[in-house]
Amino acid sequence: MTTASTPADVARAEKAPATDGAPRTGVGTGYLRHAAGKLGGALVSLFAVLVTSFFLFRILPGDPVKAMTHGIPTSAEQLATLRRQFGLDLPLWQQFADYCAKALGGDLGTSFQFRAPVGELIAAKLPATLLLTGVAVVLYSALGLWLGTRSAWRHGGRGDRLNTGLALTLWSVPSFWLGLLLIIVFSVGVGPVPGLFPTGGMESGTGETGFAYVLDVAHHLVLPVVTLVAVGYAQTLLVMRSSLLDEMGGDYLTTARAKGLKDDEVRRRHAVPNALLPTVTMVFINLGHVAAGSILVETVFSWPGLGGLFYQALSVPDLPLVQGLFVVFAGAMILMNLIADLLYPLLDPRVGR
Amino acid sequence: MTSLAWERRRGSAARFWRTYRTHRAGLYGLAGLALIALLALTAPWTVGADVQSVTNAPGTALESPSTEFPLGTDQFGRSLLGLLIWGARISLLVGLLAAVLSVAIGTLVGVLAGHYGGWPSTVVMRITDWFLVMPTLVLAIVLATVLSRSMWTVVLAIGITSWPTTARLVRAQTIAVESRPYIERATALGGGHRHVMARHVLPNVMPLVLAQTTLGISTAILTEATLAFLGLGDPTVVSWGGMLQDAREAGAVSSGHWWYLAPPGIAIALVALAFTLCGRAVESVLNPRLGVGR
Amino acid sequence: MVMVTKVPARPRSGRPRRAARLLLAAGLTTASLTALPAATATAAPAAAAEDGKSGGTTLTVAVSQSIDSLSPFLAQKLTSTSIHRLAYEYLTNYDPKDARTVPAFATEWSSSADKLTWTYRIREDSTWSDGKPATAEDAAWTFNKMMTDPNAATANGSFTANFAEVTAPDARTLVIRLKKPQATMTALDVPIVPKHVWEKVGDFSKFNNDRQFPIVGNGPFVITDFKVDQYIKLKPNKTFWRGAPKFDELVFKYYKDGDAAVAALQKGEVSFVPNLTPAQAAALKTQKDIKVNDAPGRRFYALATNPGARAKDGRTFGNGHPALLDPAVRKALFLAVDRATLVDKVFQGHAVEGEGYLPPRFGSYFWKPEGAQRRGYDPAAAAKTLDDAGYRKNGDGKRLGKDGRPLNFRILCHATDPNDKAVGKYLQEWWGELGIGLTVECLDSVSDPWVKGDYDLAFDGWSVNPDPDYVLSIHTCGTLPATPKDTGATDNFICDEEFDSLYARQAVEYDTAKRADLVKRMQSRLYDTGYMNVMAYPNALEAYRTDRIASITTMPEAAGNLWGQDGYWSWWSAVPAASAAGSGDGSGSSAAGVAIGVGAAVVVVAGGLLLLRTRRRATADDRE
Repeated sequence: MTTASTPADVARAEKAPATDGAPRTGVGTGYLRHAAGKLGGALVSLFAVLVTSFFLFRILPGDPVKAMTHGIPTSAEQLATLRRQFGLDLPLWQQFADYCAKALGGDLGTSFQFRAPVGELIAAKLPATLLLTGVAVVLYSALGLWLGTRSAWRHGGRGDRLNTGLALTLWSVPSFWLGLLLIIVFSVGVGPVPGLFPTGGMESGTGETGFAYVLDVAHHLVLPVVTLVAVGYAQTLLVMRSSLLDEMGGDYLTTARAKGLKDDEVRRRHAVPNALLPTVTMVFINLGHVAAGSILVETVFSWPGLGGLFYQALSVPDLPLVQGLFVVFAGAMILMNLIADLLYPLLDPRVGR
Repeated sequence: MTSLAWERRRGSAARFWRTYRTHRAGLYGLAGLALIALLALTAPWTVGADVQSVTNAPGTALESPSTEFPLGTDQFGRSLLGLLIWGARISLLVGLLAAVLSVAIGTLVGVLAGHYGGWPSTVVMRITDWFLVMPTLVLAIVLATVLSRSMWTVVLAIGITSWPTTARLVRAQTIAVESRPYIERATALGGGHRHVMARHVLPNVMPLVLAQTTLGISTAILTEATLAFLGLGDPTVVSWGGMLQDAREAGAVSSGHWWYLAPPGIAIALVALAFTLCGRAVESVLNPRLGVGR
Repeated sequence: MVMVTKVPARPRSGRPRRAARLLLAAGLTTASLTALPAATATAAPAAAAEDGKSGGTTLTVAVSQSIDSLSPFLAQKLTSTSIHRLAYEYLTNYDPKDARTVPAFATEWSSSADKLTWTYRIREDSTWSDGKPATAEDAAWTFNKMMTDPNAATANGSFTANFAEVTAPDARTLVIRLKKPQATMTALDVPIVPKHVWEKVGDFSKFNNDRQFPIVGNGPFVITDFKVDQYIKLKPNKTFWRGAPKFDELVFKYYKDGDAAVAALQKGEVSFVPNLTPAQAAALKTQKDIKVNDAPGRRFYALATNPGARAKDGRTFGNGHPALLDPAVRKALFLAVDRATLVDKVFQGHAVEGEGYLPPRFGSYFWKPEGAQRRGYDPAAAAKTLDDAGYRKNGDGKRLGKDGRPLNFRILCHATDPNDKAVGKYLQEWWGELGIGLTVECLDSVSDPWVKGDYDLAFDGWSVNPDPDYVLSIHTCGTLPATPKDTGATDNFICDEEFDSLYARQAVEYDTAKRADLVKRMQSRLYDTGYMNVMAYPNALEAYRTDRIASITTMPEAAGNLWGQDGYWSWWSAVPAASAAGSGDGSGSSAAGVAIGVGAAVVVVAGGLLLLRTRRRATADDRE
C-alpha cells in the first residue's frame, strides 16, 4: 500500500495486473490442481518466512537485555536473571529449536519488553490496524474504481488528464508528510479553519459507550484514513483505467453499441465487469499489505496499531515481538496473494469452466 | 556491420524520441527533471558546501522567510533554501543509485533465470516470489537498522528489497526474446550462452530496464525519505527526508514553522512525480497497448 | 497467574462487543467519508455531549513512552515508575522544596550503632484501596520477595542486594539488617505492595498486574484502567493519608508523536505535555491559557571517551582509539568544545552549561571546577596542547597520530536523540579545525558497541536521583565486567583508585554534610581524570493549560519540574481551574465544527449538483 508500494508499482500493476501470472487453464480438475499448487506454494512460503524471521533478526546488533536496562540501575545479577527469563542464555541452536517447536503450536514467544505473550500483544493491536487500513483500502479501492472508470470512459479529455494528474501527484507525496500537514490544518487549525479532528489516537478515552464510542472512533479515524486514501487511490485508478481502456478496444463493445445499447449501459453491463478483474485481484494484494502498510501513518497519528508496535520492538530489539510481527506481516501478504490467485480463475469470464 | 548496427540504434532512438515527444506529461516530467538536475549539479557554485556548516550559520534559529532567507532558517540558523538545493544532491543520488542497484540485481536474476530455465530457474523464481511477499518497507527498515547509519546503507536497503518485480518482468521478456527464431539461428551458428545473453537478450530487455529504472527512482526517493523520516538515514548528510526528520525533531509542525516542513515534502513529491511521468511515458512508447499516456 | 481479589472489578465491556463496535465504526467511517463534512457535523456534537456527561475534572497528561509492565517488580521505564509512585507508597519520599528525605510509608527511622540494622516506624493511617490496613508486614513481604525470588528482583534488586534479613516484629515496625553499611537506606525507591494481593501471584516474571482493575494500592491515586499505548486512568484515593488529590481523574494519554501531543495541548485535548523542543516551547509561550515551565533538569549530558575498555580480571577489549589514552589528546578535544555555544544553539538556552558531574539542581552535592582546574573553550590552547604532545598537522591540515596516520575518531550517538545528532555536527566542525576527523555513528541502540568497548567517544547522559550513589557507582572499578564476556554496570569503563576509595568512604558515611563533601571530592577527581566532559545540564521543558490547572507543585518548589519528579507532588497537588469542570472549549470548537460541517455540506451538495448537470450534458454530447 502507500508505504510499501510507490509510483513504480502503479505502472507495474498496469503491466502485470494478474498477480503473478496465474495459469489460465482452469477447467474443473485443472482449477483444483492450480489451487493445490498455489496452496502448497503458500505453505512453503509461510514456512520459509517462519525460519528466516528467526535468523534474520538474530543479526540485529545489540544485546536486548542491555538495551532494555540502559540508563537504569541494574546489577550484573539482575542482567543474568533477565537473560535467563528470556532464554537468551541458551545456545542459538537450542533457541531456534524452542522457537520452531513453539511456533508450530501457535506460540510466538514472550515479548522482552512487555513480558507478555507475543500473540496476545499482536492480537490486542491487530483490530486497530485492521480497522484503519481496512477502511482505507475499501475506500480508496472504491474511489479508484469510480474515478478510473470515469477517466477511461472519457480518456484523453480534460477530466481524464486532471484526474490522472491529481492521482499521480498525490501518489508521489510522502504519506507521513501529508499526515503532518493534515494535523496542522485540520487538527490544530490554521487561520479560519478550526481544529475539527483529534490530533491522534483511536478514542478520546472519556468513557464513551455504545454508539457514542463508535462515533468517537469514527471521528479519530477520519484524518489517518484520508491520508491513506489520498496517497493510495491512484493505483486502483490507473489499473482500472488501463484495463477498461483495453476492454474498450474489444469488438464486443462495438457490437453492443451497434445493438443500440446506451453508452451508460454498455459501460455498466459489459466493459466495467470485465475490467474489474485485475482491479479486484489488486485489491486483495493491497489487503495483504494492510498489516505492514501503515507504519508511518500510525506513527504520525499515534494510532495504537501494529506499525507502531513494530517500530518500537525493533529499537530494543525485542526479538520475539519483531519475529512475531514479521511473520504476521508476511503471512498476511501470503494469504491475500493466495486468495487472489485462487479467485482469479474463478472470476475471469474468459476462462471457461 | 558495427556501423550498421549503430545506424539502426540511432534510428530507433530518434523514433523513440519522436513518439515520446507526443506525451505531454512525459515532457513536463523531463523538463522538471532537467531543472532539478541542473540545480543539484550547480549547487557547489550556487549555494556551496558551506551551507551545511552549523558553526558558520548566518542566521538565528528558525527565522521566518525573509529576503535574506527566502525559505527561512533551520534550528541552527542555516538557510533552508540552501539546504533544500544541497539536499537535492543526496536525495537524487540515493534514488539513482538505489534504483540502479535494484534494477541491476533484477535484470541479472531475470536474464539468467529466463535464459537457463529448468530447475535453477524455478529455484531462483521461488526465491523471487518469496521476496515479493516480504513486506518491503519492513525489510528495508530491518536492514537499515542492522547496518550503520550511512547513505550506502539506505541505498543497499532499498536496492536489495525492491528488485523482484524487475526480475519477473525481465525474465518474461527474456523468454519472449529467446523464443524468436533468430536466437535459434544464433545458437545454431555456435553462439554460446554468453553471446546470446549479451548480444541478443540484453539489448532487447534494455528498454524495459530503462523504464523500470525511471520508475524505480521515484520509489527509491520516496523510500529514502521514509527511512530518513524514521531516523534511519545518515544524520550528518543533508537530504530531503533528513530535513523532514529534522523539522519534526525540532517540533516545527506544532510550533507553526510550516516553511520548514512544506518545501522538502513538495520537493520530494515533485521529483517523484517527474520520474513517474517520465517512466510512464517511456513505458507507453515501448508498449502503446498500455494506453497510459493516451 | 490470575490475581483473585475481593475488590468489585469495574465491569469492562467484553471483546466481542468491542470488535462489533469497531466494525460499526469502520462502516460508519466508510459511509461518512463519502460525505466527509456530514461526518464532521455528526461526530463533533457527539463528542461535546460526552464532555458534558463526564462532569468531573480530569487532568490529562500526554506521554509517549510505553509501559513495560504495571508490576512494580518488573517496571523499569520512567512512565511506569512514575505511575507506581502515584499508586504505591514507598518507605520514604523526598521533600518537594529541597529533595531531602521526608516520611512516607515510614514515619521515622533510625540505624544501629554498627550501621547494620535499620528500624523503620510504619505509619498507622495508611490503608490499601480495598480497605485493608497497610502494615509493616506488607513492606517486609515485599522486600523478602525481592530477596528470595530473582524474578521479583528484576526492577529494583539493586536496593536489596545488600540486605541480610528483613522482618516485621509488629504491624508498625520494620527491621532491615544489612550485610554491610549502605548510605541509601533513606532513599529506598521501592514500591511497597499489598501482601494479601501479591502472595497469590505465581510467576513474578510473567505477572504484569494489568488484568484486574482497580489495582489495589495505597498511594494518592488508584489505577483504574489501562489500554496499552492508548491510556492509563487513575482515580484519586479518597483515603490517602496526606489528603486526596483534587482532580476527579488523572489520565495519561499516549501520543507517539511529539508534535501531535503539542497540538493536543493547544486544542485542550490534554492539559500537560512534557519534553518540549525549544521551538515548541517558544511557540507555546505566546499562547493564551498555556504556561511553559522551563525548569533545571536532573540530567547531565556528557562526552565520554573510551579509557581502554577492560574487565576486572585485567584483560582489555574493544577497539577504542589508542590516541585517546593520551591525556593531552583528551584535553585538547575538550578544550575545543564550546559548551556555551551548545547551550545557546542546540538547547536554545534551555540548559545550563556543564561543569562538574552532578547538576546544580542538587545543591548540596553540586561541585564545579575553579581556576586552573577548569577546562574552558580555548581552541588555540587545544591546538598548542596537541602540538606540544607531538601530534603535528600534515600537508592537508590533518593531524597525525603517533603511528603516523591521521587522527580520525568515531562517536557513538543515539539515533533517537536529536541533541546527539546536533552536537555531533558542531563537534565535527570544531575538531575539524584542529585537524581531527570525526565520524558520527548513530544507532537505535548504542549498548552493543558500548558494552563491547567498540567506540572512541560516546554521548553519555544519566538522570540523577536525589541520592547520587548510583551515578557515582557506575564509575568505580567494582562495576567493571568480571571478564570481557560479561557485562558490568560500569558506564564508561573508568577505573580509578582514588575515586574508588572516596566512593567507599561516602557509601558508609551517614552524616549528610560529610558525605556531601566526599561526593564533591569524587567529582573533582573524576574531572581531573579527563575521561568525561559534561557539556550541559538540559532543562525540563514542559507546558500545561492554565485554564485546566489552577496551581501545581514543582520540584524543587522554586523553579522545578513537573514530569518525572522524585515523588507524587505534581499530580497530587494539582488544583483544577474554575473553568476545568465540564467542557471548557469543547463546546465552542464543536459548535464551530457544526457550522463548518454544515457549510461544507452545502458546498459539497452544490458541487455535486453542478457535477451532475455537467455530466448530463456530457452524456448528451456523447450520444450524438
